[in-house]
Amino acid sequence: MAYTNKLQLVYGDGTLGLASDGFHYIFSYERGGLESLKINGKEWLYREPMPTFWRATTDNDRGSGFNIKSAQWLAADTFHQCVGIDLTVDGKHFDQLPIAPLNNDYSDHEEAEAVTIKYSYKTLTVPATDVTVTYDVTADGQIKVTMHYQGHADLPELPVVGMRFIMPTTATGFDYTGLSGETYPDRMAGATKGTFHVEGLPVTKYLVPQEMGMHMATEAVTITRNSTQNNADHDDQPFSLKFAQGETPFAFSCLPYTAEELENATHLEELPLARRTVLVIAGAVRGVGGIDSWGADVEQQYHIPADKDIDFSFIINAK
Amino acid sequence: MDADIKWLDDPTIFRVNQLPAHSDHHYYGDYAEWQHDDSRFVQNLDGQWRFKFAKTPQERSQGFYAADFDSSDFDHIAVPSEIELSDYAQNNYINTLSPWEGKIYRRPAYALSQDDPEAGSFSSGKDNTVGAYLKHFDLDPALRGKQIRVRFEGVERAMYLWLNGHFIGYAEDSFTPSEFDLTPYIQDKGNVMAVEVFKHSTASWIEDQDMFRFSGIFRSVELMAQPVTHLEDLDLRPRVTDDYQDGVFNLKAHLAGEKDGTVKVVVKDAAGNTLVDEQVPVEEEVTVSDKLIKDVNLWDNHNPYLYQLLVELRDADGNLVELVPYRFGFRRIEINEDHVVLLNGKRLIINGVNRHEWNAKRGRAITMADMTSDIASFKENNINGVRTCHYPDQIPWYYLCDDNGIYMMAENNLESHATWQKMGAIEPSYNVPGSVPQWKEVVVDRARTNYETFKNHTAILFWSLGNESFAGDNLVAMEQYYHEHDDSRLVHYEGVCHTHDYSKQIPSLDKKNYLPAGGTKDYRDQISDVESWMYLPPKQVEEYLQNNPDKPFMECEYMHDMGNSAGGMGSYISLLDKYPQYFGGFIWDYIDQALLVKDPVSGQEVMRYGGDFDDRHSDYEFSGDGLMFADRTPKPAMQEVRYYYGLHK
Repeated sequence: MAYTNKLQLVYGDGTLGLASDGFHYIFSYERGGLESLKINGKEWLYREPMPTFWRATTDNDRGSGFNIKSAQWLAADTFHQCVGIDLTVDGKHFDQLPIAPLNNDYSDHEEAEAVTIKYSYKTLTVPATDVTVTYDVTADGQIKVTMHYQGHADLPELPVVGMRFIMPTTATGFDYTGLSGETYPDRMAGATKGTFHVEGLPVTKYLVPQEMGMHMATEAVTITRNSTQNNADHDDQPFSLKFAQGETPFAFSCLPYTAEELENATHLEELPLARRTVLVIAGAVRGVGGIDSWGADVEQQYHIPADKDIDFSFIINAK
Repeated sequence: MDADIKWLDDPTIFRVNQLPAHSDHHYYGDYAEWQHDDSRFVQNLDGQWRFKFAKTPQERSQGFYAADFDSSDFDHIAVPSEIELSDYAQNNYINTLSPWEGKIYRRPAYALSQDDPEAGSFSSGKDNTVGAYLKHFDLDPALRGKQIRVRFEGVERAMYLWLNGHFIGYAEDSFTPSEFDLTPYIQDKGNVMAVEVFKHSTASWIEDQDMFRFSGIFRSVELMAQPVTHLEDLDLRPRVTDDYQDGVFNLKAHLAGEKDGTVKVVVKDAAGNTLVDEQVPVEEEVTVSDKLIKDVNLWDNHNPYLYQLLVELRDADGNLVELVPYRFGFRRIEINEDHVVLLNGKRLIINGVNRHEWNAKRGRAITMADMTSDIASFKENNINGVRTCHYPDQIPWYYLCDDNGIYMMAENNLESHATWQKMGAIEPSYNVPGSVPQWKEVVVDRARTNYETFKNHTAILFWSLGNESFAGDNLVAMEQYYHEHDDSRLVHYEGVCHTHDYSKQIPSLDKKNYLPAGGTKDYRDQISDVESWMYLPPKQVEEYLQNNPDKPFMECEYMHDMGNSAGGMGSYISLLDKYPQYFGGFIWDYIDQALLVKDPVSGQEVMRYGGDFDDRHSDYEFSGDGLMFADRTPKPAMQEVRYYYGLHK
C-alpha cells in the first residue's frame, strides 16, 4: 500500500479495512467488532474484542452469594449481541453501512484522516441494557477505544466492566506502568508505583482458580509476543503492542485464560494448556473483600453498582 | 496396671502414668555439648519404625507389644509422620462438623445426661483407625544406668505405650509433650517400644480444629536420661519495675535425683557481663529471688533483647553434672485503667497472624526449615504476632519467637466446634467441655500442660484457652488456672462472646447470630481479660470501641484470606489510630492448608484440598485461607499486609 499520511480505506462488503504504514485493521460488520489488528505484519486478535462483565468468582464472591446475585452477568460476558454499527469517516456519518452496491462507487485508493466506528450491544441480561464500544482510528494507527455502559437500576451489581482482548498466542511477558503486584480497589495501599516487567503470563496459584492478576491504576501496558499462528511467518523475534490510558488510568489483567475458563476449573491443573493471551482492560473493578468468606460483602465503596453509567477509554497501538 | 481400651470412651481418663508437665528447657553434660546442641542425655528415636495399620479397633493387631511378638508382617513408617500421608488412611479436611458427620451418630459422654457415658463410642468406633508402632533400640552407652524417660512431642490422638511387654502409660492431648518413665523396664540392649495410636477418643470432641484430620506420631520422640542431679522444672519470673527501668530476676527450680552438691545460677547480658551469680545448695526446691538488674534492656518486637541464664548443677566434689541454659527477656504486659493493653508501658499493637503448622508434603509434621522460613517471612512482612492456632506448636517455634520478638498468643489444644455450632447457628445443646463435670479435668490439664511447658517463654504475652469451644464452668476453671499460676500474662478467649448480650456495646449486631436461642448464662465477667471477636466487621468493631469499652478489643481472627482476598484491610487498621483500646489482631491465616500430590492425569505435582481424596463430608477449599500458598510462597495480598502492618510497628 502506498505510503501517505492518511488512512487507506478498503470499503469491503462485510468489513472495513483501515491501513497505513505498519498497520492494517479490519472492522467486521458481520462479527460485531474489530476482527483484525495487524501491526508490522503480526496479527494481534484471535477473536473480536468484546465487552466483559464477569470475573472468575473469588472465594469471597461465592461465600457472600455475589455469584448468585449477579449470575446473569456471566451470560452477558459469554455471549454478545451486536445490535448496531455506526461508521463515520472524516466527520461524514453513514446512514447505511457502505457495502455493495453502495461501495461500488469507491475505488482502491480511498483515504481519510480519521475513522470512527461504533458498535452497539444489548446485554444478555434481564432487563437488557446498552453498551457501546467506539473505535476512533487516526492515520498514525492509534485507536482510541471508548466504552459506555448504560446504567440500569434493575440489574444486579457488576463483577467488572471492561473490554476483553484475546490474542492468538501466549505472550512472553508484559510491561506496565502502574502499581506493583496484584491490586484491587480495596487492596492498593501496599503497592508501589513504577514500571514493572512481568515474565510470561503467570497464573496465581489460588487453590481454586479465580479472579487474579488485576493491576489497578495503570497508565500503559505493553504486551510482547514472539509467535503467531501464521504458517508463513518464520520469524521468532519479539514484537509488542502498547495499550495506554485515555483520560484516566485503567485496570488490566493479562492471563492465558478467560474468566469462564478460570471459573470452570476447581484446580489449577484442570485449566487448559495455555495457548492465548487474554487481556482485560477494565474501567471498573469490584473489590475482593476480606472480612470473612461466608457472608460478608465487599465494602460498599468497592462495589460496582449497575444503575450508574460507566465510561472509560484507552488507546490501542499507542505511540 | 494393664491398658484398657475403654479409656478411649472416658473423658475423665486422659493421662495414665504420664510424668507431670514441666518447663521445656534443654539440659547438657557440659558447655561443649550446649555449643553443639548435642546432649549426652538425649537419644533421638526418630526414623523408621515398624508399623501395622488397622481400620478399626476390632481389627487391630492385639498383643503386638509382647516382647516375643512376631512383627515380621509389619511395614515400616517414618517417625515423625502422618499415617494418612503414608496412604494407609484417607485424607480428610473438615471444618466445624465432626469428622464422623453423616457416618456415625455420636454424642459426647455425659453431655446430654449424667447417666450417659456413651460406652463404646470410640473403642468400638468403626471410624477409629489404629496405628501399631514398634521401635527396637539399644540404649546409647551414655544413657545406660540412668533413669530413662521417653518424650513423645506430639501424637494424634490417643496413645498407649508399652516397653518390653510392660504397659507404661496412656496419653491424649495430641499437641503437647507426653513423657513416661521407662526406668523399671529399660534394658541396655534389645528394647522393644510399642505404641498404639488411635485416631479417635473422647479427645476428638475437643480437638475438632478446622484442619486436615490426621493421626500418628507426627512429632519427634526422644529418650532422655536423668543426670545424677537434674533440674526437672524451671520457673523464671523476670519482672519489670513500675517505672520500666529495672528488671527483677526470680527463679524457682525443682530438682530431682541426688540432693547433694550445689546449684550455680548465672545471668549474663548479651555482651556477656555477669549480672547474677548465685550459688545455693541442691535441694528439692531452689529459689533465687529479687535480683535487681539496673537499667534493664526490655524485650519487644523491635529489640528482642534476651539475657542468658546458666544453671550449673555440681556434685559434692564440684564436678559439673548438668548444665541448663535458657534465654529469657524482661517485659511487662498489663491493662491500664483506660483499658489499653501496654507492653513495657507503651501501647501494644498486634500485627498478627494465625499460624497452623503446615507443610504441603508432611502435613503437620513440619520441619525446622519450615519454622525458620516462617519467621523470616514474618520479619519481611511486618508481622509481629502469632496465635498458635489452635494447639501448642513444636517447642522450637517458641524459642524462635523469643529470639525474634514475635508476640505469642499461646493457645491450648482445644476446639469443640461441632458441639455448639450447627450450620452457623449457635446450638450448644450437647456442648463440651461446657459445664459438664466429667469434662473439667481434661481441659484444665491442657491448660496446665501448656502453661508448665512454655511458661518461661518471654514471647508469650497471652494464654488462650482454646478456639471456638463456646463457654461454661470448665472454661472458667481453665481461666482460673492461668490466673492462679501466672500474673505476668493476659488470658484470652473469644468464645465467651456467645454468652453475653451485646445490644448496648454493639447495637447493630443481630443477637440470633451470636447468642443461642433461649439465652445462656453470661460468662463475660469470668472469662478473658480482653474482648476478643473473630471476623467482626470494622463498623461493629468501631461500635464496641465507641461504647465505653470495658475490656481492650482485639480480633483473634480477621481478614479471612481465602483465595484472592485481603481487601479492605485499611478499614481495620485505621481504627488503631482512633481507639487506643483496639490492639489489633491476628489475620486468618498464615498458610494455605493444601497437600502436594502427583496428579495421575497430568503427571504434575499439584495442590489438593478438602474433598480431593473422595473425603466426605468435607469443607473443600476452605482449607486455603493463607497469606502464603501451601508451598510457602506469598500470595499477592502479602504486599498489602506488609504495608498496613508496617504502619504501627
